[in-house]
Amino acid sequence: MEFQPNCVRKTILGTFLYTYGAPRLLAVEAKHLSKTYRAKQELVEAVKDVSFSVAPGQIYGILGPNGAGKSSVILMLTTLLRATGGSARIFDLDVERDESKARKIIGVALQETGIDEILTGWELLYSTARLWGLNQKQARLRSEELLRLVGLTSAGQRRVKSYSGGMKRRLDLALSLVHQPKVLFLDEPTTGLDPASRRVLWDEVFRLKSAGVTIILTTQYLDEADELADRIAIIHEGRVVSEGTPDELKASISGDVVTFSFAHPELARRAAELLPNSETLDTDLRITVPNGPQFIPESFVQFRDSGIDVSAVSSSKPTLDDVFLSVTGFKLESAEERTEKSFRE
Amino acid sequence: MTSLNNQERGAASFALQLGILTQRLLLRVVRRPYTELPTLFVSAFFLFVYVGQLDRVFGGDAFGTPFDFSKGNFVNFILPFSIVSASISGASSGISLVEDIESGVFRRYQAMPISRWAIILAPMIVGAFRVLLQAGLILALGVLIGAQAATGPLGFFAVLGIAFMWGMGFAGYSVAAGIRSGSAQGAQAATFLFFPALFIAPTFVPRESLSGWLATAAKFNPTTYVIEAMRGIMIDGWVAEPIAKGLIAAGLFAVITLSFALISARRATEKS
Repeated sequence: MEFQPNCVRKTILGTFLYTYGAPRLLAVEAKHLSKTYRAKQELVEAVKDVSFSVAPGQIYGILGPNGAGKSSVILMLTTLLRATGGSARIFDLDVERDESKARKIIGVALQETGIDEILTGWELLYSTARLWGLNQKQARLRSEELLRLVGLTSAGQRRVKSYSGGMKRRLDLALSLVHQPKVLFLDEPTTGLDPASRRVLWDEVFRLKSAGVTIILTTQYLDEADELADRIAIIHEGRVVSEGTPDELKASISGDVVTFSFAHPELARRAAELLPNSETLDTDLRITVPNGPQFIPESFVQFRDSGIDVSAVSSSKPTLDDVFLSVTGFKLESAEERTEKSFRE
Repeated sequence: MTSLNNQERGAASFALQLGILTQRLLLRVVRRPYTELPTLFVSAFFLFVYVGQLDRVFGGDAFGTPFDFSKGNFVNFILPFSIVSASISGASSGISLVEDIESGVFRRYQAMPISRWAIILAPMIVGAFRVLLQAGLILALGVLIGAQAATGPLGFFAVLGIAFMWGMGFAGYSVAAGIRSGSAQGAQAATFLFFPALFIAPTFVPRESLSGWLATAAKFNPTTYVIEAMRGIMIDGWVAEPIAKGLIAAGLFAVITLSFALISARRATEKS
């Protein structure tokens, strides 16, 4: 067969255009968002510089500790808060200039749930549907459908006051879905929920994703971000400090994470002096090394020479925890720890 | 899934929005009937206690004395005072608005294509409803214990109308105070105006009998004119001057506080 350079050129060009040149509409695009609040005489920079983009149909996780600026970012993206700087677009609609159009394609479930507890779940859904312009019959059908969807059919005629925390979150989710939004924003949807309720909500989020809804959720829980999100942005002190798929983020820390446990925090501190670049957390000492199995025996010798007893040691591939620790210098509590704590309180 | 096309995924008309929001707030009132009781109780208490204490002095026995200002029926004289007290229930507008701000309901509405005027107007309509309900109940109580309007049954409606205007004034004040302070206490402060407004006025005797600083202060208290207008209707019949003064006082108060409320509303619904 004769070599046809033209054809090859066309194919290469075509592939190139398809991959890079074709206009790919983003579901969410945040560019250099910033927000400064005026609190009394002080200016507080809640969000300093946040940029990220979300492709249609993705679940995007915004991860960060309390006060990182997650909620402010969500409020700006959902047209509820004016950005001090930067811009944001939802399916090419500017959240500032095309505010009312943007509102019609987004659904929002915020942290303060904003549910009138004196009404029943059904009444809330029905009136919300009517406010979105559905007629009586459509609103009735939609309310029943959504109650079924979030598993609240039997509780639908009860006042929300009697709902558990998990039920309220599910109702909140249903309320944000009334107008079939293309993009759904969930601000810490599972904070304070027990593991079972969290699982129910996760399942619902996955179901929505498979229905083609783009979902942006904030969380303080690494396991949640790891489980749910296609991509993650870690926000710390108002900035995106790391961004990528969970695997990319984990791979950004190459090597192994070795954790030594000691009987006392004091021992951990002394051990840390022997190992530069290590971090102590209570009685644990963590260090990221190129090769764990090789590193462990070497360090054991060092510890023994200094008279430090090691109670346990483990080597693992980096988790999001380690990524978070390395980019922010903080350790996030796991969901379980937090739930336990809130139950104790 | 029920599928919605883009046209359907719109928004309700303004009237429908207002209707739905008002309905929701009315449900809140109906499902918490006991929250109506304190104002109602205080107003009814005033009516019964003052009639009980003063009827022998200023009622039928006062005939032919200088104290016969109620023309033999003291209930007619004191009832307007109780009705004005009941109309302060209009202040609930601001309280329910603040409850919605505090619970996040307000923000949820902001995220939806709903007119901000509907959000502000709905609690005021419910406030108006409460004013009519409470003032109406007190009026009915008054009739039960012997109130008779010199102007006939139509007079009762005129009294209710003035009470309504007065109540809306309190509604506007409470909404503005609630939004500006952003707290339930701010809205409730509206009810603290209640005592001076009610008592620095010709509460138990006609204005001519007041003396010293109270006489001067009462002259500047709009409540004075509202009470006097109602008394005029109850005791003297359709006499233009007191009625006109009462309407002007209540109307001005309502216009001022409602404008203040609407200006505040603009600020509350603006993005921060």
